[in-house]
Amino acid sequence: MSQIEFKNVTKEYISGVKVLDDVSFSVEQGEFIFIVGPSGAGKSTVIKLLLREESMDNGQILFQGKNIVEILPSEMPDYRRKIGVVFQDFKLLDSKTVYDNVAISLEVVNADKKDIKNIVPNVLSLVGLLDHADYRPQELSGGEKQRVAIARALAHEPDVLVADEATGMIDPDSADEVVEILEKINSLGTTVIMASHDQRIVDKLTKRVIKIEKGKIVSDKKGGKYRA
Amino acid sequence: MPKVWNSLKHYLKKEKLMTVSHFLVMGITFLILGIFINVVVLSQTMLKYLEDQAQVTVFFKDEFGEDKINPFKDQLSSDERISEVTYVSKEEALRIFKEINEDQPVLLESISASVLPASLEIKTKDIADLESLSNELGQKEGVEEVRFYKDVVERFRSVSNTVYIVGAVLVVSFFIISYSVIISSLRTAINSRGSELEVMKLVGANDSYIKKPFIYQGVFFSVMSAVVASILMIILDFGLSKWDIFSKGLSIGFFPDFFISPVNFSLILSCILIVSGFLLGYFGSNAAVKKYLKY
Repeated sequence: MSQIEFKNVTKEYISGVKVLDDVSFSVEQGEFIFIVGPSGAGKSTVIKLLLREESMDNGQILFQGKNIVEILPSEMPDYRRKIGVVFQDFKLLDSKTVYDNVAISLEVVNADKKDIKNIVPNVLSLVGLLDHADYRPQELSGGEKQRVAIARALAHEPDVLVADEATGMIDPDSADEVVEILEKINSLGTTVIMASHDQRIVDKLTKRVIKIEKGKIVSDKKGGKYRA
Repeated sequence: MPKVWNSLKHYLKKEKLMTVSHFLVMGITFLILGIFINVVVLSQTMLKYLEDQAQVTVFFKDEFGEDKINPFKDQLSSDERISEVTYVSKEEALRIFKEINEDQPVLLESISASVLPASLEIKTKDIADLESLSNELGQKEGVEEVRFYKDVVERFRSVSNTVYIVGAVLVVSFFIISYSVIISSLRTAINSRGSELEVMKLVGANDSYIKKPFIYQGVFFSVMSAVVASILMIILDFGLSKWDIFSKGLSIGFFPDFFISPVNFSLILSCILIVSGFLLGYFGSNAAVKKYLKY
């Protein structure tokens, strides 16, 4: 059983434009995959559908064998905790410190205070920001903000880490650092799905690359390149 | 609880203007609600007092003496419709007349007990029986005249009923207004924390974690506003009690023959306002936040 399966997924907006058209692919536990394509190709829609932020019009998405459409609203928080998400715009809370921004993902599930005190420094150390725990997001660089976002996504030990254009708003050096961290996380067993149109990063890592154009998968290759 | 309390304190500190406007709008709403409930109860009480005063007075001819009036009185006392029959003799009538006209000595000199008629003052259990009783008594032997101030009671009853209906409509309206005020003020607060809620949902916060601070906030605002309105109501009813306007107390329309002191009434009203505040705050904030919890 694959960890994630997209089966003939179609998503159409009210305007009649198909953002995803009969998309099928599967992701195995522990894989690192890139979803690439030009802006508007449908990369972010794949992620939104997986997170059930949006609903599909046709097809099925299975997560660990379960059709995500059948997940009840009361089960959604549990489902969301299995998928850590990192966004292009970081989505950090400016009023909270780096420590609190990471701790929030544990506080929302009423985690024990002791556990929070253990886990947060660990994940901050994993992304190299332990010494920035008391900083506020506005005091950090773009790359550092993205690393905080990764730490937050990792705090509740998700099965899958999804990064939507995670390197889109940061400089190349910071982007390399972020990707290095994602590789490290992947090597620890977490599946990583990264939507990106950063050719340099994709080509450097030589991972599986799923290319989407105009809502259709045009290629799906292991060890692929952006233009392949 | 302390975390939610801290978040509430943080909100109150950060949004001072919003806090003041929430308190003002909701406090005034609850105050008006309390005043209308008071007005309805006061009008019902006045009606009750007036009804208690309403009576049929039967004046007898001079030749119909006390020896005939007393058996007539006994007969009336056994009538199920009648609650009280009081005999007013010619002498008693003169005493009352003198009391009323004590500042007119010339008039008093020319009046003696013999010119005033003896009478029976009859009160009924139900004010609606006054008219039929008055008609019946007018036919009886020895009866000179029957007086019954039908119009006064009827007019006040109609005014009181109007106050009751209008008051009830206004009370319901103000409940709806309070509910809308809570929802709209919380929606403003929720919108201002939109990104925080979005992040919370994305990291897997359960509904109760997201809802709790807003429910505490809604309940806090509405209960505190209700408390302020209640204190003003207690002061108002304490004044009524001091002036001793209604000696028997206030009458609650739904419970006949039930009287309660204004202070006790204001305490009950305060409880009603505070419980209403709690319920409105709880359900209003639930409704306000519900929209943001859809998956």
